[in-house]
Amino acid sequence: MQQVHGSFRDPYSGVVIHQNQVFRWMSSAYEPHYRQLMDSGLYDQLVKNNLIVSHQEVDIQLGEWPADFRIILPRQIPFISYPYEWSFAQYREAALVLLQIQQLAMSFGMSLRDASAYNFQFLDGRMVLIDTASFEILPKNQPWVAYGQFCRHFLAPLCLMAGRDIRLGGMMQQYIDGIPLSLAYRLLPLGQKLKPGLLMHLYFHGKSSGKTHANHSSRKPSFSMASFLGLIQSLTGTIRTLKVKKQISTWENYYRSLILSDEYLAGKKEIVAAWIQKIRPAYTWDLGANDGSLSRIAAAYGLTVAFDSDQVAVEWGYENMKNDTISQLLPLRLDLTNPSPGLGWASRERMAWLSRPLPELTLALALIHHLAIGNNVPMTEIARLFGSLSPWLIAEFVPRSDPKVIEMLAFREDIFSSYHPEGFEESFSRYFEILEKKAVAPTQRVLYLMKRK
Amino acid sequence: MTHILLYIDPGSGSFIFQLLIAGGLAVGFYFKKIRDTLMGWFRSVFSSHSRQD
Repeated sequence: MQQVHGSFRDPYSGVVIHQNQVFRWMSSAYEPHYRQLMDSGLYDQLVKNNLIVSHQEVDIQLGEWPADFRIILPRQIPFISYPYEWSFAQYREAALVLLQIQQLAMSFGMSLRDASAYNFQFLDGRMVLIDTASFEILPKNQPWVAYGQFCRHFLAPLCLMAGRDIRLGGMMQQYIDGIPLSLAYRLLPLGQKLKPGLLMHLYFHGKSSGKTHANHSSRKPSFSMASFLGLIQSLTGTIRTLKVKKQISTWENYYRSLILSDEYLAGKKEIVAAWIQKIRPAYTWDLGANDGSLSRIAAAYGLTVAFDSDQVAVEWGYENMKNDTISQLLPLRLDLTNPSPGLGWASRERMAWLSRPLPELTLALALIHHLAIGNNVPMTEIARLFGSLSPWLIAEFVPRSDPKVIEMLAFREDIFSSYHPEGFEESFSRYFEILEKKAVAPTQRVLYLMKRK
Repeated sequence: MTHILLYIDPGSGSFIFQLLIAGGLAVGFYFKKIRDTLMGWFRSVFSSHSRQD
């Protein structure tokens, strides 16, 4: 049995892995709150609306953890992702789901006792709350305990992504308990700073948080239900005004100029689809997936995580996934040359990229030239990484004669003497058996189907 | 504070700030409620008119 390190801060509930399954334990202090959640009908309502991960109560012993009240087996989340890897649309969806849950919980006499972005995960094509023990009986006349955390974890990164630059979601990697409000406000452009919602929840809230309130305990709190609901409405309205359409369309024009011929794309899709049909992978990683148009072939067979280092490509991927309701496709932002590290306490609170479950199949299409030439990663190192990932690999080699490679080498010294098909095959043959290779007409690009030795 | 399950630091500043803006939030809540009620009423009136047409 092993503790999940992301859950150690809460003394009333936590998560452990036992026989490859994730269980949640609850201590007796949490009993009245769990009973209210289940008996009031709130849990059923949340499950019905796909807002929370469902669970079943189980009767097992978990050893040293204070599970003296209840152990539940939640529906398992196949891939854990983090806010700094999400698209803006995913992040915004999680924020709105949280506020919807809070509003619903209040109508059942309950409230969320934390508002961590890490409590949300992607399941069946949508963001859901995974912390069943986040609820408490609604305290009377008291402000929301999770207000500050909500603003740091959701409002601050979202308004920076929408108002300043979509790439600023990555700041969550630096600030594990959310972006300081004063910093977020300082980074916003003037036009955004004057928005009433941001002025209130970021600027004045941040100012107030920065002060010491030595006498606050003598003040009798009085926060009516109308004020509480007004707060949730105000936060919902503020989040809803945040949009990134303008940034996306600016990049869209740039991308359109990069798109290769339809014939090439159709040929590539046909070859990749035929190979994937042979493998029938239950779990795939598509590295350098762009907008995930090829990832969706694998998503027909099982969960496919489509990684790309470009935030805008991830936005498209998520939008396409939502429009086409491909529930097994998860687009995420990841820079392969600097992937998500282990973060938080002892670097174990948030898992590093390679500490998460590895796939059955990896797709590396039109990616290797970016790593080898664009980032100077030796071919032997690239092959070593892919050799450690999955038993199956579909990779594309883009030759020197390709216009993209010519462009990449146009203004730099060619130090890539081993960048040729023989060098590629030799490096990858150390870890894989090359089963098939096919050229993609009308280009000289070659696709490889490989199986790990 | 009576939160027996409190494990995150809510921040005294966040608490005090919510108390300070409580009145405004309540006004906003009631304003929206009245507006939604009126809008609902108008919609039902106009939709019944259009059905008659």
